[in-house]
Amino acid sequence: MLNSLVLALLLAASNAGATAAPEMSQATIERAYNELSPALCVIAYSFEITNPKNNERVKQDAHTPGLIVSPDGLVLARGHMIGDNIEPFNIRVSVGHGDAVTEHPAVLLQKPTSVNVAMLRITSDKPLQLPFARFKPDVRLSVGEPIAVLGVLGAAFDYTPSVVVRRIGSILDTPRTTYCLDDPVPPGFTGGPVVNVKGEVVGVVGYDLSTSEGGDLYVRSGFPLVYQTELFAKYLATPPAEAGDGDADAPSWLGVFTQPLTDELAQYWSLPAEGGSVVSTVMAGSPAAIAGIQRGDIIVAFDGKPVRSKQDRDVFAFTRMIRETPVDKPVVVKVLRDRQPLEVTVTLAPQPVTSGRANEFEDKVFGLTVRELTRDVRIMLNLPEDVQGVIVRRVQSGSWAALANMRPGIIILSFGGHAITSIEDYEQAVAAVAAEKPLEVSVFSRVGAVTGFFRLEPRWEDVKE
Amino acid sequence: MKRALWAVAGIVLLSGCATTRLGMQDAMVIRAKDRVAPALVHIIPVKEVFTAGRREEIAVQGSGFIITPDGIVVTNEHVAGQSRFVKCILQNKQEFDAEVVGIDPDTDVAVLRLKADRKDFPTVKLGTSADLESGQTVLALGSPHGLSRSVSAGIISVTDRYLGSSNPGSDQGSDAAPFNTWIQTDAAINSGNSGGPLVNLRGEVIGINTRKLLGADNVGFAIPIDVAKEIVAQLIEHGKLDRGWIGVSLQEMGRKTDDASARGVVIADVEPLSPADEAGIRAGDVLRSINGQPTDARYVEGLPAIRKAIADLPLGSEAILSVARGEEVAEVKVKTVLKSGADGNEVELPEWGFTVSEVTPLIARQAQLPGKTGVFISGAQVGSVAANARLQSGDIILKVDNIEVDSLETFRKRYDEVVAAKKPLVLLDVKNGALTRFVLVEQEQTEAEAEAPEQDSLETPEGAVDHVE
Repeated sequence: MLNSLVLALLLAASNAGATAAPEMSQATIERAYNELSPALCVIAYSFEITNPKNNERVKQDAHTPGLIVSPDGLVLARGHMIGDNIEPFNIRVSVGHGDAVTEHPAVLLQKPTSVNVAMLRITSDKPLQLPFARFKPDVRLSVGEPIAVLGVLGAAFDYTPSVVVRRIGSILDTPRTTYCLDDPVPPGFTGGPVVNVKGEVVGVVGYDLSTSEGGDLYVRSGFPLVYQTELFAKYLATPPAEAGDGDADAPSWLGVFTQPLTDELAQYWSLPAEGGSVVSTVMAGSPAAIAGIQRGDIIVAFDGKPVRSKQDRDVFAFTRMIRETPVDKPVVVKVLRDRQPLEVTVTLAPQPVTSGRANEFEDKVFGLTVRELTRDVRIMLNLPEDVQGVIVRRVQSGSWAALANMRPGIIILSFGGHAITSIEDYEQAVAAVAAEKPLEVSVFSRVGAVTGFFRLEPRWEDVKE
Repeated sequence: MKRALWAVAGIVLLSGCATTRLGMQDAMVIRAKDRVAPALVHIIPVKEVFTAGRREEIAVQGSGFIITPDGIVVTNEHVAGQSRFVKCILQNKQEFDAEVVGIDPDTDVAVLRLKADRKDFPTVKLGTSADLESGQTVLALGSPHGLSRSVSAGIISVTDRYLGSSNPGSDQGSDAAPFNTWIQTDAAINSGNSGGPLVNLRGEVIGINTRKLLGADNVGFAIPIDVAKEIVAQLIEHGKLDRGWIGVSLQEMGRKTDDASARGVVIADVEPLSPADEAGIRAGDVLRSINGQPTDARYVEGLPAIRKAIADLPLGSEAILSVARGEEVAEVKVKTVLKSGADGNEVELPEWGFTVSEVTPLIARQAQLPGKTGVFISGAQVGSVAANARLQSGDIILKVDNIEVDSLETFRKRYDEVVAAKKPLVLLDVKNGALTRFVLVEQEQTEAEAEAPEQDSLETPEGAVDHVE
């Protein structure tokens, strides 16, 4: 009995010595805490959330942790601060902890497209010299490797900085290298910095996988991930413009939907089972269509790099390849068409604007919020290219539009006899109609696959501008 | 006063001693009920339904009434349609099987014939729905929730209810009731009352109880008997109704534009490649008349009559439509074609475990298909070959092994070939919404075969034949 116990202890000791597994020392954790705590800030803000069905708006106050990433006040925060129907305002950032807290106003910057983080900039009259986190790019993490995550405790603890230790639980290779933690983190730690055993800040904690061509659509993973530095480094180097100032960075776009060349499909088509991207849909007017890529073509190489998709998730890797290729560069695409190799040269275009970033106009006269028809909406609704108009995004309850049974999703083709092809057309049509004050305004619309008229009957004496 | 009392006494006497303790109203209701009840039929059809990728047969319950001594029964299409077998039980508990003489899904009218060599069936007297007044007392007879011989009473709430909204697209699809307005009544109508008679106090049938508003109390709807009479006559003669179609959807003129000079009906939608489209008619045009007959719909209630006028145009005939576009009025010649049904034929394909139906014009239009092409997947069973290939409800199969599918029949043929040949891999071109994709169906490892390898492999395809009409 005694013998076996001794033996076991000896084995354990020799094991530790042999592998020299990196462990998170108390000193590393404490150093990370001391160095990064000053860069942790608390973002107090209000937001308005809009119900798209009835345009009802609710305002709420919220707090979320932030991380200062430059001395002049660039701040990184969790991506869910901003959303399609969530608009933050009244943003204040508290820097410092305990007795030395300074509150600064801040503005929201355009949300990055490739990773679900929000970016803010502290505004100040005087030049700022703030404590900030320095990120280390291109650090490989391994399964089982311990990491420290910094965050803040809740209001009851005065938003005091805190640290938790987790391990890398698994690593996915596609669509990009994705590090999953082994255990959830508390709420105040989402967006918090991630520190490895060497004390390097290697990323921040997030929860979403960015999807292929969806722009700012994300898939909730439900599990904490490390957004490694490379994913947002370019936004730190060149911060985006303030939200609402034109377009953010648009990734490159080819304009095809593909599916992997599974071994079974290869067998069916008598092709070598080496993978590839089978073009299943070519979008009209896209760079792929212009270059003559056809449905059924199998893309086997892109810009000199082989394309070897065999499983669904490999498709994302191909999408990523496209997104990271510059837009103006001619790219050689190798395809198999009817089993014959063929080379096609394409010039990628910036990805067309998605509905989340589409221009919107709120028409207060009739109670409609309309959006331009973006390509993703055209695909979702299967709209032919020749349909021009604007799409109803929200209908104000009790408005003239609501009385006429208008609802979100209707496509307005003409308004009071004015043809509508853009947001500007709509804005002008409403102005023209409001000046004319007719008893009835006919709104020619498309609902599903059919057309028809909605009749607005405003009582002009009640219309408030 | 005295005279009125005498009148009451007279009715009481006529009604016999049983009613002497009842009031006048009771006596009238009982008399009306007694005139119809012997011809009331409790209908139990075994219907074919397609659900979750499977064809099933279910027994349902409905109502009907006999209109001729040789056993012609009128009921709803939604009671007797797609039925393999129809059992009828009369008021006196006698049972007869019935054959379906004809169905009309657009008006929800069906005609059955009792299988009996008799010429003495009790019949109802058909009244007219032309002179109904809201507020008049009516009775609903039938089998609510299968409870046969039930009578409920109420009044006519509205004589000409338009079902459907005036919103774009509401006259499309299989739930639409495009060709008639409805009698709305507060006489209790429940499921199982469908197809039963709505009766006035003279004991005449004035409507066919057909629908109720879900979630509401005492809001039931009956097809006016004058509408039904015309349909029934045609169903007895032809077994179906062939309606003319030109491809337009209509909307009422609206209140504000309705001054004395503004007449007609608004063309809300023109089906691509339809006769109206080819004649140059556009959405927004105002239809003034058809063959000189004015087509005025100030309100929605006016729409069914105009739709019916178009449907009644002889097939293949050239109609002259007077169409206004802005200030200009033009006469346009439009040749009618046959209106196709809202629902397509459907079959279960058990080897792959899914159900497919015809692509109807509406499905084709929603899918942006150039005309009627492909077949529509209406359901896939969990764990089936189809589901394993990730085929799902709403997919449209355009090609099988690179050969185009232009109808349900050609798809059946191709499908039967690949199933019989046990081709290990079958490639489908599939469309769903704006996107197309390639789907490879792997036929080898079906669960049925894996579980029962010793079974004669010919059995499965033969079993399939059973499910085909």
